[in-house]
Amino acid sequence: MILYFVYKNVAFGLTLFYYELYTSFSGEVLYDDWYMTLFNVLLTSLPVISLGVLEQDVSSEVCLQFPSLYQQGQKNIYFSWSHIVGWILNGVLSSLVIFLANIYILSPAAFKEDGHVADLTHLGAITYTCIIWTVNCQIALIISHFTWIQHLFMWGSILLWYIFLFMYGALPPSYSQRGFRILVESLGLVPMYWLVTLLVVVVSLLPYFTHIAVQRLFYPMDDHVIQEMKYSGKDVVDDQMWQREQSNSKKMTQVGISARIDARIRYLKDNLHQKKASLYRSVSPIFRSLTSSPMFYF
Amino acid sequence: MDVDEGSSLDTIGDQSVPQHSRRCKAFHQFTQQSLPACKPVLTPKWVSSWRTTICEGLFLKMFFTVFGYLQVVEIVDRYDAECIPEAYKSNKMAYIKDNSIPKNCSQFLKVYKRMKAPIYIYYQLDNYYQNHRRYVKSKSEQQLLHGLGSNDTSSCKPQESNNGLPIVPCGLIAWSLFNDTFTFIRGKSELKVSRKNIAWKSDRDHKFGKHVYPFNFQNGTLIGGGKLEPSIPLSDQEDLIVWMRTAALPSFRKLYGRIEEDLDTDDVVVVKLMNNYNTYSFGGKKKLVLSTSSWLGGKNDFLGAAYVFAGSSCIFVSLVFLLLHTKIPGN
Repeated sequence: MILYFVYKNVAFGLTLFYYELYTSFSGEVLYDDWYMTLFNVLLTSLPVISLGVLEQDVSSEVCLQFPSLYQQGQKNIYFSWSHIVGWILNGVLSSLVIFLANIYILSPAAFKEDGHVADLTHLGAITYTCIIWTVNCQIALIISHFTWIQHLFMWGSILLWYIFLFMYGALPPSYSQRGFRILVESLGLVPMYWLVTLLVVVVSLLPYFTHIAVQRLFYPMDDHVIQEMKYSGKDVVDDQMWQREQSNSKKMTQVGISARIDARIRYLKDNLHQKKASLYRSVSPIFRSLTSSPMFYF
Repeated sequence: MDVDEGSSLDTIGDQSVPQHSRRCKAFHQFTQQSLPACKPVLTPKWVSSWRTTICEGLFLKMFFTVFGYLQVVEIVDRYDAECIPEAYKSNKMAYIKDNSIPKNCSQFLKVYKRMKAPIYIYYQLDNYYQNHRRYVKSKSEQQLLHGLGSNDTSSCKPQESNNGLPIVPCGLIAWSLFNDTFTFIRGKSELKVSRKNIAWKSDRDHKFGKHVYPFNFQNGTLIGGGKLEPSIPLSDQEDLIVWMRTAALPSFRKLYGRIEEDLDTDDVVVVKLMNNYNTYSFGGKKKLVLSTSSWLGGKNDFLGAAYVFAGSSCIFVSLVFLLLHTKIPGN
């Protein structure tokens, strides 16, 4: 969830920086102020919240049957440096695809059949639409436990963007600035708008899709294996294998807080023994001879 | 898809409440994380079916777009370098700033493929940063709509007033209005060019006042561009409206007009233009573009190329996957 947050903000923020290359670094912003304000507040926050609250990679009964899954947190498997860098790179790649596709497709030729050319307002709105779609479809690829809430938030966020654009455009030009009538007049019925969105979403999500497909096929994690077993019904069909896997996952571990506590207790006990032994040896010669025998240690 | 219904742990809590409303049950499901859900798992079958769908979709789109673009005919002609007389080739600034030197120029465009009406005429400017922050800010929307009555023109500085009188329309964007003109002649007759409806309708109706007239415009010592006819209201000054829509990138086109006649293959169109606009002081370029349009707009090879790339890379990765999956079966 944290890494997704990093990803979406990297994907969004970098497009703004790339645009500065084309404005001779004057500081002109690609998007309208309201678009940028709503990005993290309304349009991409709800799916992440639903991911954090409702996501279950395996169900609760299975979790209890497979305690070794807990080690994924202890060993920091999902928050290792390779994961962090991977997600940041995913964000960079997405931002590059989104930005470059929009820049090169929408200019300099006309984007509508009636010969109109895309200007700053259109480029901003279309790029922003691509970002919203990409980021929300990305979270759809991450979620493995889809409830109606997640669907509502994800697709609702995208729909909310269009509703906002429509209502923002309906305000007088002094309020809506760049967004005045942009959806109804310039973008809504233009095939190019929808085609660009589709292309950009597919191309920016392909690397991640390939990555998870490769991972699940060739390097599956423990929870992927369990998910697949549950999905194909192997836990019912091949009960022996299911039980064997459960007992495998219940072995004593060398990691985690209980293991560390046990090790600490052993260490302190050893220390106590040695201190007692040295104390007795210094006090009495009889005990000295006694403690030298291995029978003393119990 | 694997569907999880509410788990059996539900019934433990329910025993104390024999009759529970639907809302209570939904809330219970939510707090116990036992909402009905679907848990799709990315098995190889799903991977390959997704990939096939995506690849087919991309290829279809690719065919449509390439087919659409092949129909678009575009002629681009750079004229700012050629239109300088020999005597001034080493001193372009003197040429462009001197009003006594005639700025007429003729260009010859050969139509390589039949172009059906309407043919859109654009002027393209390169290395022109209409998206510079201070430039984009330099206009007053209030004044464009309400004229001299509005007081809020501070963002237009330094083009706010001249000799104590306010400038309408104020600001750098209006001040730098593009003022090259083009007429098109084929054979002996002039082609009919329509200069109406080139601006966005919402601009004409809602952003530029029907009762706002240019006042004290381009009267200063430094002339930045074209002049405006003081008797025509701003809502009808379509060149200005088109120009005020600041472009997104340093290389942009703006609609000049439409030719309402067809052009046949091998037609030679003589363009008589007035090379008024100064792009020489900053190394800018001026080009004239004639283009037809399709359902996707103008000529843009990038979209077709992008779909070809995406579709073929998709197919390639799918084949690799299929190969690997058959060679190394999953557990």
